[in-house]
Amino acid sequence: MKPAAFEYVRPTTLAEALAALDHDDAKLLAGGQSLVPMMNFRLVQPERIVDINHVAELRGIVEDGDAVRIGALTRHAEAARDPLLARMLPVVAEAMANVAHVAIRNRGTIGGSLCHADPSAEWPLLTVLLDASIDIASAAGRRSEPGDGFFIAPLVTALEDGEIVVAVRVPRPAPGTGMAFLEVAQRAGDFAAAAAGATVRLDGDRIVEARLALGGVADAPMRLAAIEAALAGADRRDIADAVADAAADLEPNDDMHASADYRRRLIPVLARRALERAAERSSTLAMVK
Amino acid sequence: MTDALALAPVETVRPKYIGKPVQRLEDPRLLAGAGRYTADIQLDRMLHLAFVRADQAHAEIRAIDTNAAAAMPGVVAVLTAADFADVADLVATSRMQTYNATHCPLLARDRVRYVGEAVAIVVAADRYRAEDAAAAIAVDYAPLAAAIDPAAALAPGAPQLHPEVPGNLVLEREFRTGDAAAAIAEAAHVVEGTFRLARKSPLAIETRAYVADYDRGRDAITLFSSTQIPGVVRDALASLLHLPGNRLRVVAPDVGGGFGGKGSLYVEEVIVAALARRLERPVKYVGDRLEDLTSTSQGFDEVVEARLGLDAEGRFVALEAEVIGDIGAYSIYPWTAALEPVQVVSFLPGPYRIAAYRGRVRAATTPKPPTGPYRGVGRPMAVFALERLVDMAAVRLGLPPDEIRRRNLVRPEDFPFRIGSGIRWDRSGFLECLDAASVAADLTEFRRRQAEARAAGRWLGIGFASYAELTGIGSRIAVAPGMPINTGSETATIRIDATGAVTATFAMASHGQSLETTLAQIVAEELGVRPQDVAVVQGDTDAAAHGTGTYASRSAVIGGGAAIRATRTLLGKVKAAAALLFDVDPAEVETGDGVIFVPGTNHRIDFADLARAVYSDMAALPHDARATLEAQESFDPRLGTTTSATHLAEVEIDAETLAIRLTRFFVAEDCGRMINPLVVDGQVHGGVVQGIGVALLEELQFDETGQILSASLADYLIPTAAEVPSLGVAHLETELPANPGGFRGMGEGGTIGAPAAIANAVSDAVAHLGVGVATLPITPSKLARLLADNEKE
Repeated sequence: MKPAAFEYVRPTTLAEALAALDHDDAKLLAGGQSLVPMMNFRLVQPERIVDINHVAELRGIVEDGDAVRIGALTRHAEAARDPLLARMLPVVAEAMANVAHVAIRNRGTIGGSLCHADPSAEWPLLTVLLDASIDIASAAGRRSEPGDGFFIAPLVTALEDGEIVVAVRVPRPAPGTGMAFLEVAQRAGDFAAAAAGATVRLDGDRIVEARLALGGVADAPMRLAAIEAALAGADRRDIADAVADAAADLEPNDDMHASADYRRRLIPVLARRALERAAERSSTLAMVK
Repeated sequence: MTDALALAPVETVRPKYIGKPVQRLEDPRLLAGAGRYTADIQLDRMLHLAFVRADQAHAEIRAIDTNAAAAMPGVVAVLTAADFADVADLVATSRMQTYNATHCPLLARDRVRYVGEAVAIVVAADRYRAEDAAAAIAVDYAPLAAAIDPAAALAPGAPQLHPEVPGNLVLEREFRTGDAAAAIAEAAHVVEGTFRLARKSPLAIETRAYVADYDRGRDAITLFSSTQIPGVVRDALASLLHLPGNRLRVVAPDVGGGFGGKGSLYVEEVIVAALARRLERPVKYVGDRLEDLTSTSQGFDEVVEARLGLDAEGRFVALEAEVIGDIGAYSIYPWTAALEPVQVVSFLPGPYRIAAYRGRVRAATTPKPPTGPYRGVGRPMAVFALERLVDMAAVRLGLPPDEIRRRNLVRPEDFPFRIGSGIRWDRSGFLECLDAASVAADLTEFRRRQAEARAAGRWLGIGFASYAELTGIGSRIAVAPGMPINTGSETATIRIDATGAVTATFAMASHGQSLETTLAQIVAEELGVRPQDVAVVQGDTDAAAHGTGTYASRSAVIGGGAAIRATRTLLGKVKAAAALLFDVDPAEVETGDGVIFVPGTNHRIDFADLARAVYSDMAALPHDARATLEAQESFDPRLGTTTSATHLAEVEIDAETLAIRLTRFFVAEDCGRMINPLVVDGQVHGGVVQGIGVALLEELQFDETGQILSASLADYLIPTAAEVPSLGVAHLETELPANPGGFRGMGEGGTIGAPAAIANAVSDAVAHLGVGVATLPITPSKLARLLADNEKE
């Protein structure tokens, strides 16, 4: 279980990284939590590894107008303990607690998780849930891709050859928005059989706005627009009814750890729990105010 | 002696170390990263191996093209089966009737018989280059038909895996006492089920690793092996490579876990040793995790169809079972494929009084990795099947789970008790352990909590599992399976050298059992020194004439027994020499804490003084009294000794997600006299955690073509700290067994009881829904399936 030989390049600027990436068979190395095992299994044998761990422009979590910009090289553990995110997007820390194990959270990066695009992973789900967009750089310039357009299929994204994800940009949620993330996995830290994220903004017991995203149940994380629409203006006590058929139109994966039927069973449960928890938090925020 | 008057008054009672929580002597080394594992060994000019392994389960090898690989940089040699024509196949023989041995070649010759079987070897300057070249070897396979499922393999007309194994039937065996069928036909109640325990990987944290060094001048090989059985490996290699044992040394250095997976001979260690000699250079092979999951012996994999008959009062009257074991592609050396499945039927009647028994086992060879010993051997399956039946019977009769066991366990007055398969239990705390677990369970309070939780969408369940096992098995029982090796005895050599230091040498091979500590405690107490003064040498075939290794819960009983005997003999020599120095009768001499003294006198020397007098100071003792301070004694317990326990598990299931959480685990066990309670706790904890994996997580899965689906630790799930509740252990000592130390073996029990207890707890939690657990591991997804199927019916 040793990788095939490869050329190793370690740029220190984004421009150098993009230049190094201009190669027939190059891969970016960030946290290496998915790439390195795949190389060791020789499932991938890139000729060139571009190690971007020393590119400072890819770091940092900053407020940027009405959004927070999270550098692609941010480690899961850094995101989990960042004070700005804790204030603006507490759901991030809640989700990060589900990312594998401590050692992996210390190394793995947001950009790596987004580009790997595992349908069960936490960052893709958060991106879709929070209407985030993904900032992408290439030799040709910069572009931004909305989260729901970025994830195409398992391990497939809208990223083109020669492009680097530089950051994820998350709009500031409206005041009073409660958020929740939860997932079910066989062991703590395993890939989720199913995961759900929700945001709810209440006015009293009336839901002003609700967002619901699921992971692990389709080829990519998905928003459940029909349920969101049904919940807008509804009473928070109607959440259970609204999600009862959440799995009806879905065809979740079947794998050795979780059958499609089991996932179908989980979907309405996780959806309800995430929404109810988010609603409860919105309610608490209103009381604190 | 001259300043004896200045010393404090001498003690008269020797300090006791057996039974004390002595901190592990190996820990400072192992925890500080100063251990020396096989992979740590670096030798000058060492070469590295990579294997090309079969990617098909059953196929004919038409051609192997090694030309490209041989021409690659750093490659020293590329080898296939033809290059080992001078080495015999591994054949595990047995005198057992209805047993067909398989022939396992070092490298697949004409056919491959499982995904992962070694087909070709690259020898290169480093492992990277070896793997590069291995990837360049092209094997041309012609697929052959295969019966992957063991029942299908035994069906008439199934594709044959080995010409020497007709009908793929490696063995068949039946145990019979009384007329079980008739008794069941007349029984007031009968419960029955078909129980299945999935295939497991032993999954030691250290993968298998071998380094061979060749001494050209002596034509001698030293093999460093991450093995549990250096003695068996040495004896087998001597025969396969035609070298006498004095030029073939097998050393098991620090070994990072075995669980049975390092308890057999592997083709890789034969190959590494043979190649070091052929190439006249050191050769190293360190298996990776993928190789570990596909080529280290696997465990369990049986289906048990069983029926238990009871009378109206819930007393067991008869038990019948049909067992099919899937032994994989080869019958493993030296144990044979009989080991695991035969133990299922020989231990199935368990710790209960059951007058009539019939148990038949058939073992099928299938194109999957070979099975071998796995912690618990047969008994995890046997206990799972029987204890599920016991709980099903309890539900049928409306009896509490502890009460039905109390009515049927072998009672103190019944010992020694022979069960229907012929196994003889000596007195052990069967009922005492159940009673302790029963008190801990507090069933009345539990049923109240269970009802309350159910109303809140949480299903609580409680499960008992009572079992007995035979440990420290001596030669009379070890000979029964008919293997040509003696596992029933151990020899200890205890020596005081010229500096007065104590070295205790054994042929065993600790790979996590704390033998450096527990054996030192025994020698220290018997000799009168401190445990940290005793160096324990083990795992080196040059240090002992014969010995097998560490497995089967034998080392404390048999090795400990030999240690006691040898140390007592040595103590006699110590006292005789000291008596001459003191001019007293040897009976007056005492030892303790490293001091040799005569109570109530000023006679007081230490072991260094004595060693000087015996070995170096030619004036101190008469010539004929200068006997070497060394003693060697063997111990063979002839029979085995019974260890028993009752395990208790509590689970909580989320009624919506079906997430299963083990919330409590308690063990009441009788392992006789404890040498070190810390070590006993550690062994029980480790065994139970392994049992949690058996019950809830671990499963090697194969598709219909024999491809392994769980080939990484992302898919083969083992318990982590997060899945383990705090574990309570109660130690009961009823009556000590008749061996020198009063010890019973206890290395495997945790894994034997836990799967059944957890299966019963999960079944109890969902009993109100009309389902129960018959297959382990039980996972939330499988539970969803059970519930859905039940709703359909």
